[in-house]
Formats: sequence, structure tokens, C-alpha cells
Amino acid sequence: MDVALKIWRYDPESGERALKRYEVEAPEWACLLDVLDIVKDQVDGTLAYRKSCRMMICGSCGMRMDGRAILACKERMKPIVDRGHVPVISAMGNMPIVKDLAVDMGPFWQKIRAMKPWIEPGYEEYPEGGEFRHSQEQMNPIHKEALCIMCGCCVSECNSMEADPDFLGPAALAKGFRFVGDPRDQAKVERLELYNSEHGIWDCTRCYFCNERCPKGVDPRDAIAKLGAESIKEGIDRDMGAKHAKWFVRSAVTTGWLRETELVPKTQGLVSAIKETKFALSLAKRGKVPPPFPPHVADKQHEARMLRDLIATQGRDGALGHVQGERALSRIEHAVMADPDHAGRRRDAPEITPGEAPVNRDIGEQP
Amino acid sequence: MRVAYYKGCLASLSAKELDTSTQALAPMLGLELEELDAVTCCGAGDIHEAEPDYYLHLNARILAYAQATGADTLMTICNVCTLNLRQANHMLQNDEALLARVSQNLEKVGAPPYSGGVEVRHFLWMVADDFYDQLKLVAHKGLKGLKVAPFYGCQILRPSKLMGFEDPDRPWSLEAIIDACGGEAIDYPAKIKCCGFPIIQAREETALGELIQPIEQAMEAGADAMVTPCPLCHLSLDAWQQKLEASTGKAFRMPILHLSQLIGVAAGLEKSELRFRRHVVSMEPVLAKLEGPS
Repeated sequence: MDVALKIWRYDPESGERALKRYEVEAPEWACLLDVLDIVKDQVDGTLAYRKSCRMMICGSCGMRMDGRAILACKERMKPIVDRGHVPVISAMGNMPIVKDLAVDMGPFWQKIRAMKPWIEPGYEEYPEGGEFRHSQEQMNPIHKEALCIMCGCCVSECNSMEADPDFLGPAALAKGFRFVGDPRDQAKVERLELYNSEHGIWDCTRCYFCNERCPKGVDPRDAIAKLGAESIKEGIDRDMGAKHAKWFVRSAVTTGWLRETELVPKTQGLVSAIKETKFALSLAKRGKVPPPFPPHVADKQHEARMLRDLIATQGRDGALGHVQGERALSRIEHAVMADPDHAGRRRDAPEITPGEAPVNRDIGEQP
Repeated sequence: MRVAYYKGCLASLSAKELDTSTQALAPMLGLELEELDAVTCCGAGDIHEAEPDYYLHLNARILAYAQATGADTLMTICNVCTLNLRQANHMLQNDEALLARVSQNLEKVGAPPYSGGVEVRHFLWMVADDFYDQLKLVAHKGLKGLKVAPFYGCQILRPSKLMGFEDPDRPWSLEAIIDACGGEAIDYPAKIKCCGFPIIQAREETALGELIQPIEQAMEAGADAMVTPCPLCHLSLDAWQQKLEASTGKAFRMPILHLSQLIGVAAGLEKSELRFRRHVVSMEPVLAKLEGPS
């Protein structure tokens, strides 16, 4: 088949960027990586990209296709060619570009290392007897996180990291839960303290791009939620994000509805809230600061309170509350993807490709 | 069509204008809304994070009360409610043992049981799909080619496997509605990105770094206003613009519409139903344009 694609080239020596079009002949079974190999072999040997295993396990060939972070070895080209579409290939986001499609993964690895990605068994030498057996059930909570191949697709699209480059980010935090949830690890509380730093768990904006992009089904956002649940279970709740989350629980058990006006002082503390008085007044003038009295109470609100007391005795607290739903969620088919007519129904999707031009904070900087 | 109506926290409190405009539009579109009095907050992603088992039960309770009305659809008007309820619903519908445990717990505290019989759908999807032809009739006053930037927000697009409505990278529903209302949809890359709201109190600087992108891009693309299907996006876009002004020294005066207000204007709803005076950024420039010569 004839494949056409456009590639955002970047030359680190001149600092020049250019969108170049390539047309090659490729076999029908070709994936994007095969096509890039053909381009490099037959058209332009200077094209730079990373690859290794070609089978979705090494995590080397992360890049963007039409603005979406993908693994080049996972994307089949035939349906794209059949649609007559000419995809735009660019480097991943949130990481400096080294050349063309290759990014500097240095900051990525630094954050992975910051999670202390190794088991802390709690002893120096093997105790007598030496063997420890763990059941599948004990390992289930980290089943998804253990699938991570560290390709960087989640990090590429992380909206929080665009605004705060120091955010530990989805890949590192998912790695963090892989150890927090491991029954062999004895450093859970120390880890949770570490991950509750300024740029940790509570810096996640819940944009769900990481879950959307992960090619292995790790669902990093869910891993971050598991870390949040474990932190609060262990009483590690000094962060404003944790206080914010706890106020929703408090609201549910007292009135049923969010006690919106009290949320700011409960999250930020009274002093910070008072500093925000001018801002609050500008909102109050527009009815955006509803008076806390009389409280807005749901009918039969006592049921919500009783439910919390009831389930406290059922052993699904902390991250287990998330783990219990994973099997069901894994059964959902990608409805949109399974139905190609669905996305184009009613009218064509607009022309703009998010991330088509490689918007990159550090573009031009050499590692 | 009769649906159970879950308005969520904000439309009951700081975003009442979203509720009044939705309620006013519903009969015009042919929607009969059954309000739920006994339901609580969905937990807004916060209870999901803090106490996930409690999150599941609270949402199951909402679904159970919706099912008890006899309606097969629970209609939401907030992205965050949509994700929370759909996620809980998928968990319960696809795991018999989990559904049995949760439903028994509901009955133990006196709530109705839940059997998985409700679908959760956002007002946006219903208008763009089921009521699209009716919308064209309802929006008789039009928008005089008003340039409107659609802003989707995150939790109505992603995770797409939980949403199942449109391509999360190339959504079309808001554009289709703007079209039908006689406006011109403006395109810009950040329309599918985050407004920063979930962390606007705990990490304001990070949140503002996110918020600035869509507003700046919509301004550069020449939008007269932005429209969003989510009251949380609305609150950050509308109320926090003044903080962007303070931190950048630039003027941001982008009027922000709830989806129901956009349709409401085109449908000729009353001022008392649209309630633009409850917005922080003035809607006057938009109204002046609509009242001026076409």
C-alpha cells in the first residue's frame, strides 16, 4: 500500500523545525514503526527516532501521531491509509526534543528514581527458613501498575506537568503505587510521606490524559487515586489536596451535599482564606458564595451517614476500594473505537489537531 | 422523554443559573425532568480519591434513587458527576458480586436496591444526539453568527472507554450544537484540555498554568464567548480569569456560557432563567452583539 505521512523534523544544530511529507510503499501489515524504518532506509537516513523490541514491551518508540502519544509499533497503518488520512508524526510532549522524534528522557528517569523503585523488605539478611510465599490475591492490587513499560506516553500528555514541570507525574506515581501496594515492601508509610510532597500526589489535576494514552492499560490516574486513598487511610493528610478531599467526605456525612462555602477555609486554613477575602467578595457579589446557613441538606441524608459507618466494617478501605472495581472496568470495550462511524457522525470533526505543532517548553535546548 | 435529573452540587448552589436555564429548556426540547430529592453529592473525584468504597456506595445510592423513578436514563449536567456516576455504574453493571454487596448495603440503610438498570447521560449528549432535530426548531432566535469557542473539559471526554460517546481527541458535539443555534464554532487545540479546577484550591499556580491555555487560545482565535458543558469548568474559566489578569498583567474578559445558556439565548429564554448577572465576567458584550444589527 502507498503510505503518506508528515513528520515534524527538528535539527538540534541549526534549531530549525520543519513539517516534511513522505510517501513510501509499505506492506499492508506495516505499523508506524515499519513505515518510519522504510523512510529512514529509502528516503532520508538522517531521520531520528528510538526503537528496540518492535512488540510493545520495551517502551522505546513513544511519539505522537496527530497529537496523541502512541507507541509506533502498536499503530497499524492500513486503517489510516484506507481512510485517506495523512497523519502528522511529532515528538512526545513535556520532554525536551533531542532530534526529530527522539526526546530526552532524563527528567523522566529522574522522577522514576525519586520514587525509590525497589523493594524495601525490612531486613538486611534473609531470616531463617528463607522463603516467603505470596498469594495471587495479595499481588492483585498492583497487577495493573506492574504492567508499566515506562514509555512516557502518559507523561507526554500530562496537563499538570505542562504547568508544573516538577510534578512527579503519572508514570513515576504509578511506579510508586507498584511498591506501596506490594505486600513484600515494608516502607509504605515512608513512601507515602515522600509521594505527598509539593509536586506529588495532590498536584494531579485529574485530566485523565494518562489513562487515555497508556498503551498498556496501567491507568496511572487510578494509581494516583490509590495513593491518595492509602495516604488518607494512614493519616497522612496535611496536604491541602488531602484536606480538600476529606471535606467532601465530611460534607457527604453531615449534609449530603458539598458545603461549598466552607471548602476554602477547610482546605487552605483560615489565614489563607482571609487573604483571599477580596477575591471571595468578587464571587459573593455574583451569588457564587452560597451562605452556609441554613445548610442545604439532602432528604434522607442519614442514609449516606449510615452507609459510611456500615462499610467501615467490610474491609474494602484504602486502595482496595479502587482495586475491587478494576475487573469490572477492564471488561468495557472501547465503544468509540469499536464503531468507526461513531466519531464522524453528524458532522466531521474539526480540522485542528491538538499538539500538531510540537509545542515544547524546552524546544531547542540540548540535553 | 422522561428522565431522572441529577443536578449535582454546583447547580444547586453557586451555579443556580445552570439549573434554571436547563429546567426552562427541557420542556421545549421534549424532556421531562424528574428531580431527585434524596440524593447526595457524587463526591466530585475527591471522595473517589479519599474513600473509594464510600464513593462507590454514594454513587450507587444516586443510581438506585434514579432507578426507583422508573426512568431508564439519569441525566447529568456536570462533567465530574458524569464521570463519577458512569464509572460507578460500569463497576456495578459488570460485576455481579460487587453489585450484590453494594445493593444489600443500600437496603440495610433503608435506600432502594440497585440492579444496574440506569444509563447515565450528560445533557450535552442528549441534545447533540436524541434532540438534535428538535434543537434546530427550538433555537429559532439564532446567535447571529456569534463566534463561540467550545470548551469540553476533561471528564466528559476521558477516559473515553467510560464515556463511549465521541472521539476524545476530535469531539464534535458542542460544535454541532453551536451550529444548530446559529453560532460559529471556533476551533483551537486546548478545547480538550484541563481547566485546572480540581486543584485550584490546593495548587493554584499549577491550575492557573492550565487555565490560561484555553482562554488565551480562544481569545487569539477571535471568540466572542466560550461555552462549556461543565459547571466546574465554568467556575474556573469565569471566576478565576481575574487571577490570570493579576498574575499576567493582561486583560482577560472572556464571557463564559453554560451549555444550557447558549441554547437558551438562541431559544429566547427569559433573563430570569438565563441569570447572566450571576457571572463574574460580564456577558454584556455578547448580548450587545446579539441585539445589534445582523
